[in-house]
Amino acid sequence: MGIINNLKEFILEQSKKDYTPYLILSVPLLFLVIFLVWPLGMSIVKAFVLRGNELILDNFTFVNFQRFFTSSMYQRSLRNSFVISFSVVFFTLLIGVPMGYFVARVEMPFKKLILSLGILPIITPAFVGAFSWVILLGKQGVVRYMVNKVLGLLGLSLPPIYGLFGIIFTMTLTYLPFVFLLSHGAFKSANPLLEESAMIMGASQSRILRTITMPLILPSLGAASILVFIRAIGNFGIPAVLGGQQYVLPTLIYFRVNGFWDLNGASAIAILSVIIVVIALTIQRKIISAREYETISTASSEHKLHRHPFIKAIAIIYCSLVLLISLAPQITIITMSFFRQWIGFLPAGFTLENYKIIPQIASKAIKNSLFLATSASLLTALIGTLVAYITERRRPKGAILIDFTVMTPFVLPGIVVSVALLSAFSSGPINISGTFLILMISFVVRRTPYVFRSVAASLTQLDEALEESSTISGASWYYTFRKVTFPLILPGIIAGSILTFATLLQELSTSILLYSAKTQTLPIQIYNAVADGDFGVASSLSVLLLVTVFGVVYLMNVFVGESASSSFKLG
Amino acid sequence: MCPNIIYKDVAKRFEGKEIVNALKGVSFEIEKGELFCLLGPSGCGKTTLLRISAGLESLTTGQIFYGKKDITTIPPFRRNIGMVFQSFALYPHMSVFENVAYGLRVRKEPEDIVKKKITEIMELVGLPDVLRRNPSPTALSGGQQQRIAIARALVYDPEILLLDEPLASLDAKLRRYMRAEIRRIQKTTNITTIYVTHDQEEAMAIGDRLAIMNNGLVEQIGTSDQIYHYPDNMFVANFIGKMNFFPGTIQEVQENHCKIQLEHNQKILDLFYKMNQKRKQEMSKGKKIILGSRPEKLTISTDPEDGLFSGRIRIIQNLGKVTRYEITPLWDSKNKLIEVDMEGKLPGAKEGDTVYINFDRNNTLLFSGKKAI
Repeated sequence: MGIINNLKEFILEQSKKDYTPYLILSVPLLFLVIFLVWPLGMSIVKAFVLRGNELILDNFTFVNFQRFFTSSMYQRSLRNSFVISFSVVFFTLLIGVPMGYFVARVEMPFKKLILSLGILPIITPAFVGAFSWVILLGKQGVVRYMVNKVLGLLGLSLPPIYGLFGIIFTMTLTYLPFVFLLSHGAFKSANPLLEESAMIMGASQSRILRTITMPLILPSLGAASILVFIRAIGNFGIPAVLGGQQYVLPTLIYFRVNGFWDLNGASAIAILSVIIVVIALTIQRKIISAREYETISTASSEHKLHRHPFIKAIAIIYCSLVLLISLAPQITIITMSFFRQWIGFLPAGFTLENYKIIPQIASKAIKNSLFLATSASLLTALIGTLVAYITERRRPKGAILIDFTVMTPFVLPGIVVSVALLSAFSSGPINISGTFLILMISFVVRRTPYVFRSVAASLTQLDEALEESSTISGASWYYTFRKVTFPLILPGIIAGSILTFATLLQELSTSILLYSAKTQTLPIQIYNAVADGDFGVASSLSVLLLVTVFGVVYLMNVFVGESASSSFKLG
Repeated sequence: MCPNIIYKDVAKRFEGKEIVNALKGVSFEIEKGELFCLLGPSGCGKTTLLRISAGLESLTTGQIFYGKKDITTIPPFRRNIGMVFQSFALYPHMSVFENVAYGLRVRKEPEDIVKKKITEIMELVGLPDVLRRNPSPTALSGGQQQRIAIARALVYDPEILLLDEPLASLDAKLRRYMRAEIRRIQKTTNITTIYVTHDQEEAMAIGDRLAIMNNGLVEQIGTSDQIYHYPDNMFVANFIGKMNFFPGTIQEVQENHCKIQLEHNQKILDLFYKMNQKRKQEMSKGKKIILGSRPEKLTISTDPEDGLFSGRIRIIQNLGKVTRYEITPLWDSKNKLIEVDMEGKLPGAKEGDTVYINFDRNNTLLFSGKKAI
């Protein structure tokens, strides 16, 4: 009798329990397992088997990796990726840190404008920057043409932008804003009292900069460097446009898949590039972790700005010059979009034809892009929000693991995500290659970190007592979530989703392996137009894309405010 | 020997979105080896004066001298001063040793001197053991961080020490202990010291002399005793401790005596009031004055015969040594509370009761036009 009674009580107790959170919260976790963990696992397994062979232990081989020892093309790609990524980090720091310092610490006009213009290169699609530099510095580039006129007198000539130099140059300008914005923030928020106390002890300006200011902003520089490194090593568009004979790991993966349909070989390359990213992350952690301080000041005093006219002049000239060069691509493609060709000094053949032709040739790509970006953003918002809620509020035992999993795509090159998805879903029981579905999944997986970070930040700032008081008043989990939590984290959700939408409109490195004739997106059409040498149409489509992305980001700034634009630092 | 500090008509105007006259012309002298407190409510200009003394702010007009040297335009790093900040401003990226060594490294002292001086100074601030582990300052308690900050400011033998609310971020008990420590260290080194605080108890406990500041001006300078017992004006009287004010009219002036008629009930008080030349001149029959009395110089009673005015007890607080009664006067519609401190408790009195207030007639102050007479 006792046992039965106990059992009855137990069942009664269980039926009283609120299962809604478990049901709702398991959906995003399931999604992550099926579309992120499983594909990555498949991809790793496939890397150790030759193309076309079954996934059994007998077929285990290292051949896919051996190419890095036998093929000079593989070795060159690996070396190129290394050289490019480290050079880009070096040059962005070299150029971006002084700019951050000037804007934060020197009295000068138009600071807000410099900060807003400074962000433009990140929200311009990287490959658009690349081909506009072809227009300026390519074989028949206008700037190169002029420079060579001068250099020619000395018997010298500027080589065209193709190759390693061009890739490093373009990537540096593209990723400069990360270093600029992050170092600007660090210089601005560092506790001014620390510098004042050094000054009182007799330290000179240069000594303070060397012994106090720079060590204190090092963590921010580390964060910026790793962001730039991850992007530089994963970027497909720039080396694809400017690389010529020089391959890097992402273009090598593309070549492997597009040329041979060798997902196994591609997986091996992908694994190698992920290992490089992990090594870079580890080094960054090692350097930074010992130097993580509370640098945000509680004091109300502000930094004294430099007012010396000489320093002011240098700062203004420097910032204008950097802005002018990094905004050259936008100016170039807008100009180019109204002309037939641009060979030599001036563009020739003014025309509106490049725009008139858009509805005819690109309406499908535009529709696809809008559809994919919208639906993927909504799904991302849902999954990112719920996962953030789980890790921040429920704190299950594996919270760190979930956190780690959801952030993985943030450090993975886009093309690696597509290789993984193809490894899992292009053959066998589930074959969705060439469909909208696989593109949408890749977009969601790749951008969930944006929403996750944004919402997690809102949740940490949200006092848990608000939710607890709702529960104590008798509200169920779902009611509390709907009436208290959700409205309060909504700004975070919107900021993350709009950022997702804006970046998905210009996504190239994931979709380049996943698109089919039916699902072609606008960035792919631009990329193909560049490949065909049709710069006029490529420019007009790029202008369309740019205007849309800028518009979205602008609206976000208007409605969500400062907090939204700062999330670009993460994204 | 540390120099004295002389301020001559020091004024500071901040010109931002709105113009703020933080200092409106301040002149006084701080003596050699003195521990001098700048005291005042927030926004009174005390921190601005300290930052000007350090050279962190420029002054709009006026001059500052360290001894005979005019340092008005000399930048902070050439002034040879030490400063302790409210938040301590210890460098989180350096060990305790490197923090303390900073000023010595700037002065390019050889390594053996650096070691010797740091050992001495850590002994002085009472933390000789911390160097053995030599942790990051963030790993230390608030009180230890405070000592490190003082050591760092003193180790290179500056001529002047500036302390900006150095105890404000410590808890109450530690604050009382550390203020004694600061005074001990200052007296050992005998360095001319300016100490900024908004806590009057702290300033009175620690300072050789105090300057009470208000609204960009110095209201009074003097020792704790002078300021407490002989405040120059009503602001100082009510800022240093509490003072209850009652308006009245002078009826009669005699040698060391005067008669005052209270405004609200026309009762006449015969006060003992030590006369001097100045007081005799300023006091005349029929003059409107304000009578001031400290809470401990008032008494209350439940017997109407014992009191001059009636009031209702609002709150009774037991403060240990004394019991504080907050009393709502029954004659004054403006409801200015009267505070009375009595040793021991008045039997039978509870909140809401009517009581009768009386003066200690030997210990009152008279004010005219907010100034003491």
